[in-house]
Amino acid sequence: MFFQQLINGLTTGSVYALIALGYTMIYGILGLINFAQGEIYMCGAFVAVLLLATGQVNFFLACLLGMAAAALLGVVLERVAFRPLRGSHPLVPLISAIGASIFLQSLALLLFGPNDRPFPVHFTFSSVDLAGVPVSTLQIAILVAALGFMGLLVAFVRYTTYGKAIVACALDRDTARLMGINVDRMVALTFFMGSALSGAAGIMMAIYYNATYPRMGLLPGLKAFSAAVLGGVGNIPGAILGGLLLGVAESLGAAYISSGYKDAIAFAILILVLLIRPQGILKGRGD
Amino acid sequence: MTAYLLHLAIVAGIYIILTLSLNLIIGYAGQVSLGHAAFYGIGAYTSALMALNWHWPFPLTALGAILAAAACGLGLGLPTLRLKEDYLAVVTLGFGVIIDLVFLNLDLTGGPDGLAGIPAPNFLGLSFRAPAAYLVLVAVALFLVLIFTYRLVGSYHGRALRAIRDHETTAQVMGINTPAYKIIIFTLAAGLAGLSGALYAHYITFINPETFGLHTSILILTMAVLGGMGSIAGSVLGAVILTVLPEALREVQGYQDLVYGALLVGLLILRPEGILGKGKLSLKFLQREG
Repeated sequence: MFFQQLINGLTTGSVYALIALGYTMIYGILGLINFAQGEIYMCGAFVAVLLLATGQVNFFLACLLGMAAAALLGVVLERVAFRPLRGSHPLVPLISAIGASIFLQSLALLLFGPNDRPFPVHFTFSSVDLAGVPVSTLQIAILVAALGFMGLLVAFVRYTTYGKAIVACALDRDTARLMGINVDRMVALTFFMGSALSGAAGIMMAIYYNATYPRMGLLPGLKAFSAAVLGGVGNIPGAILGGLLLGVAESLGAAYISSGYKDAIAFAILILVLLIRPQGILKGRGD
Repeated sequence: MTAYLLHLAIVAGIYIILTLSLNLIIGYAGQVSLGHAAFYGIGAYTSALMALNWHWPFPLTALGAILAAAACGLGLGLPTLRLKEDYLAVVTLGFGVIIDLVFLNLDLTGGPDGLAGIPAPNFLGLSFRAPAAYLVLVAVALFLVLIFTYRLVGSYHGRALRAIRDHETTAQVMGINTPAYKIIIFTLAAGLAGLSGALYAHYITFINPETFGLHTSILILTMAVLGGMGSIAGSVLGAVILTVLPEALREVQGYQDLVYGALLVGLLILRPEGILGKGKLSLKFLQREG
């Protein structure tokens, strides 16, 4: 039971971590919480599901296109809702992000209707015995994929010129500009990467819960933000750690405390973190 | 028709109080609450439960609603208001979700069915069951709240709040206790939202968790931004416009949230000061630029 819940928690936690990476990267570079991150997640899932439902596209291409659509949405969002507001009171882009989030959510509601859509492709998943406990291969696949994406992102930020440029912008935007870095392009790239990860997360959850619907991004988005704060906002390893911890805490809390309040656990943790250690578990920003 | 207009006026009055309370947080203290409907709901449920279980008169239940909502505001504000404004945004959003879940899961609040048969106010030998009488009650409450907010924002404390909004560090250097101010204003605003919740509950006589969700928080936020952050007249105007507009545009009901979202982003980009700008009913746009 405990081990089973632990695996469940790690699975959802790895998805939270993927979204949290988007939050944390964008926060690192712009000091802005992109409240529409949950809708980007929803967009990735919808594009993949709709493409697969046509029956013309194979699974991997649909996932890739879903991620691409999410990434594109992130870049467009930055252009439309955030860039014109740079330099204004921090409250202003925050409210703008909320507006964008509501807009996208209700747009999806109008376009696709309120009902859950099942995932169009049926996979047959077996159960593997892991140290005496049955674990679904789906969970293992999600965990592996999520960890793979995280590894790719960390490698990108650490070892490529563009990744280093993003870190430079996060550390000091003005100095980065003086060093010849095109800051606007790096901000767009950050949105692109973060949104692609969120899109991937959306697709994974669409498979895991077998449901895609317009409001699917709301709670995972908020929880992922809590995860980012838990790990230390602006900190990439922190976001991963925070996401996994939060997923496990939620899963165990639902099993041992109360399933009715499952969604409240993340926020209770968030408030506790802000009270006790507002800088998060892993302090600092950037890489 | 008259009954319908009375209904609109009462609802608008309740929304004005709500919007004013949110504007105190956003427009004057420069913080943001994205779960304001939670305080509204706490007020509504508190007042309703007091009236249903203990048969207390409305002034007492309304006071209970204010105190309960303010206490929650204080509890939420204490850990978060010392930090940057973003944290408050997320915590209040999360708080809204939690409170919604609490209303849904608690036996006391009637779960998803909510509470029915909330009595109309009846005190000092007066009954406020008739809409016209209820409008008077709302108008009196609104009048008191308006006077209170006008006096507050015009006072030393109001200037201190605006100083915090414009530049927190400078305000701190000038000797303003910024965390204390932010916590007090947040508590006050939560209390006012609780009052509007009580007014709503005893008017509609039936409440369920649906009314107090994220949708309502966003609606209040749009009202405050539309009218003008930091403008009392703006809050009144924003609340009235967004109460009347959906009624006028019944056919496009599905598009309401879409419009609110677009309105928020569009306003912030094109006219971030809202319709009525910074605190005064200005006719400046009529003057020619010299």
